[in-house]
Amino acid sequence: MVSQTTTTICPFCGVGCGLNLHTEDDRLISVTPQLDHPVSRGQLCSKGWSSAYGVDLRGRILHPLIRTPRGFRQASWDEALTTIGEALQQVLNEDGPMAVGIISSARATNEDNYAAQKLARAVLKTNNIDHCARICHSPTVAGLKQTLGSGAMTNSAADIFETDLIVVFGADPTENHAILGGHIMRAHLAGTKLIVVDPRRTRLAKLADMHLQLKPGSNIALINALIKTILDNHWQDSEYIEARCEGLVPLAAAVANAYDGVERTTGIDLETIREMARAYSKASRAMIFYGMGITQYVSGTNNVIALSNLALVCGQIGRPGTGINPLRGQNNVQGACDMGCLPNVYPGYQAVADLAARDKFSHAWKTALPEQPGLTSLGMSKAALDGSFRALILFGEDPVITDPDQNQERLALSKLDLLVVAELTMTDTARMADVVLPAASFAEKSGTFTNCERRVQHVRQALPPPGEARGDWQWLAAIARQLGSDQLDWSDSEAVFREMAALTPSYSAMSYPHIDEHCGLQWPCSAETPDGTAVLHSNSFPIGRARLIPVHPTEIDESADAEYPLLLTTNRLHFHYGCGSMTRKSPLLEREIPPGLLFINPADARDLGILHRAPVGVRSRRGYLETCAMVSEDLPPGLVSMPYHFREAPSNQLTNNAQDPVTKMPELKACAVAVEPLPPGRVPRSMDQLNAEQGGIER
Amino acid sequence: MMSCYLLDTLERLHSHLARVYQIVQPLEDVGQSAPPLVSPKGYFFAEQENLFVFDGECFRETLPQPPPFVLFGVQSCDLTAIAYQDQFFARDPYYQARRQQALLVGIDCVTPCEHGFCASVDAGPGVKAGCADLILHARPEGGWMLMVCSDKGGEAIRGMELDQMDDTELRARDRRIDDCIAAFPDDSHLHRGIAAISQGRVPDQQWQQLGIQCLGCSGCTTLCPTCSCYGTRDLSEDQGDIRRQRFWDSCLYESFQREASQHNPSEEAGERVRRFWTHKFGDNFAKTFGRYGCVGCGRCEQTCPGVIGVHSVMRRIADYAPDDDV
Repeated sequence: MVSQTTTTICPFCGVGCGLNLHTEDDRLISVTPQLDHPVSRGQLCSKGWSSAYGVDLRGRILHPLIRTPRGFRQASWDEALTTIGEALQQVLNEDGPMAVGIISSARATNEDNYAAQKLARAVLKTNNIDHCARICHSPTVAGLKQTLGSGAMTNSAADIFETDLIVVFGADPTENHAILGGHIMRAHLAGTKLIVVDPRRTRLAKLADMHLQLKPGSNIALINALIKTILDNHWQDSEYIEARCEGLVPLAAAVANAYDGVERTTGIDLETIREMARAYSKASRAMIFYGMGITQYVSGTNNVIALSNLALVCGQIGRPGTGINPLRGQNNVQGACDMGCLPNVYPGYQAVADLAARDKFSHAWKTALPEQPGLTSLGMSKAALDGSFRALILFGEDPVITDPDQNQERLALSKLDLLVVAELTMTDTARMADVVLPAASFAEKSGTFTNCERRVQHVRQALPPPGEARGDWQWLAAIARQLGSDQLDWSDSEAVFREMAALTPSYSAMSYPHIDEHCGLQWPCSAETPDGTAVLHSNSFPIGRARLIPVHPTEIDESADAEYPLLLTTNRLHFHYGCGSMTRKSPLLEREIPPGLLFINPADARDLGILHRAPVGVRSRRGYLETCAMVSEDLPPGLVSMPYHFREAPSNQLTNNAQDPVTKMPELKACAVAVEPLPPGRVPRSMDQLNAEQGGIER
Repeated sequence: MMSCYLLDTLERLHSHLARVYQIVQPLEDVGQSAPPLVSPKGYFFAEQENLFVFDGECFRETLPQPPPFVLFGVQSCDLTAIAYQDQFFARDPYYQARRQQALLVGIDCVTPCEHGFCASVDAGPGVKAGCADLILHARPEGGWMLMVCSDKGGEAIRGMELDQMDDTELRARDRRIDDCIAAFPDDSHLHRGIAAISQGRVPDQQWQQLGIQCLGCSGCTTLCPTCSCYGTRDLSEDQGDIRRQRFWDSCLYESFQREASQHNPSEEAGERVRRFWTHKFGDNFAKTFGRYGCVGCGRCEQTCPGVIGVHSVMRRIADYAPDDDV
């Protein structure tokens, strides 16, 4: 018996906790936390503790699969690659490079993501490359880029213990970023003030000094009123604004009328707004954390800008224990963005539209690069519907479950000439593929993940990939070779990293040994800051002076009305991750939560005749599903909430695809629904059953 | 009376035992004060294991058949926990199949560790004779005392040719352990907290408040050396067999006690937190097992993201203790 322990990084959320994988004879037998990890300090959440179940062999895809009229059949890698190569070539010949694209994975390593965008740009000659940051923090990247010059968490996890006030704005960190949420609880118990702004009464809201239970979609109205209060009372940090910001006058003018109707719009009284404004502006160090409650609105980018305005007028950016800190959802969504898996930027956010940047990459990769801007993920779906986008390579993502308006998404994927999906297990999206490729899990490959505090950490291989599974950059390289290109022929992950670091200024002083030596390095890590950077913008902003940009409230796209009288928002649960393809393999986590649920206030439940845990039907203008009701005081009357983890009752059957004009972020946080009780004792029908009965879209 | 020998180096004992036993050393460094991150319970009560396989006609036994192994250098807290688990799993063939093969070599602690409080719950820092086969004690002047406390232990070191040591050495060991006990920080919050729990004086409201902080991560029960709850599931195999597996469970999960009707006697997190601590410090459990279910290793304090590990909880509830019980 050969027992081994491999230190690596948790594959779930953006906190990036340290994991030890214990293997016996190439079997993963248990998982433990790393005591000396700089962020997680010997702790894990329920998902981390269960990660051995997530990658075990049950349900794993072990061989390439090719679709036939009778279902999938096993194929060799050669055959699968030939099929993919020929189909790609045909689409390229007929419709050119704008008809093909790649959706990369925020779950995969930086090396995988670098390879994916290089395959798109240098081999397929398209900027059609995107990933799920589109539906989580694309407004952060776009918003903070405009105001500060860099779209990432400004501070570090450790700052939670060095601040006087923590504001959690539209985020539920004890569920989604549990270890950071725990740090916030710990700091609060030790005396740090805590303010939570959220329509739902979250766990942190129950513990907080203040909970502002605002109405969904009223973020800007509230933030502008906060800024007005601060300016009216001269609580702003004038010295900081003078020295480091521009645009105060137009901002002050824009918020001058921010009190008009604000109590009605937000549901928060002026006295509470005043109290929060005072607490935040008077705190010597105050830290904002925010999440999907800011970004997943048609006003997503403006919401981020508004928060940035608030932090800047109070001088709360650029010091330890301050800052504006987006909580990133996936283990490597920060890295996937950093690697340029976005249609408008190369690695390190170097703009495709910038001729010098294009020349730089063109020179490095020794090939001409496309000028035309690429499509976003939802743009590719839309183009698929009208037939102008025909071939998609997608990995480590399940948009059929996680993207808005499920029926449209299915229809779009069904129109493709070629859909290649690389996955660990048969997700709903993989089921629609023409070719399915067996992917290696985080435990079966090496590389790096970048967590939400910009810490690049080393992921180490503990197990051989099962069956014929391959790491992502390796099969991406095989596709490139199939198309006659050796652009992706690296010897190992470290070679990929070296090439990437040489082209990415913020990663330029990083190497695997250097990362190991420091237990991870936080970017920017360059010649000037060779050991990384814990706090961004200490002395100046990448754009020189930070910009205060006036933004105005935008109503949500779809309000409740007579036909759809309740507003639906979405949330996540501590026990599950994304589409559930990994966490639902744990018998414990699977037992913990019924497959699908709807949280509803007791008053609404009473009015509708709905009992706790009773079956309900939920309808929106886009779809219908059945699930079970959880009657809970945590939701205010008029608002219901669903997690998106469950394919049986996917909230995205209902959600609205109305989008933020800047980033195409869909408004996942608010849409109108009608809820009805089902006969008592009836088992809610799963989405598969409903589709079968209604003749849903099948391939 | 234990017989006690002078051992010059650990390597000597190591290589002697290695002739019969596979050596497993949970500590990075025998003699370090901090217990290992993970308790050794998994060596006997496996995190995941098969109970049987059913092929449609017959049930096949899947009892483990490990070779003889020695847990080399286990601290008193963890050894006390093994003795506790020995009672719980006394009739569990899977546990016993592993346990019977094991030789336990204890190591005395002579300095307190960060979160530990074994002395407050009668579980250390010196290894108790009934909890190990052999005990090691580091001598400040160099070398080790090796104490034999079971026939199995005596058998294991037969042929080693060691010099016997006298009572003076044993008394010196007692003194060093007493010094270690005296060096632990103030533990009045623990005594008061235990009194409050065992006498049922902590109000529901306080448990509910603590329950808000329980994320249900399962870290405490996973690392707790005396936690023994497990779940089972039946898994279909490729060849049509059905395999029954058991796996570590956690009483902090809402679904742990949820019944098929959906009725749940402990639906609220606060009730589950109370149950967990009552298991560790309730008088009824103490009567059944002859001691409290907590051995003072402090792992829960370190691993709990919700800040409701043992010290944190005891500090919050200490004030409910009766005034005379300090």
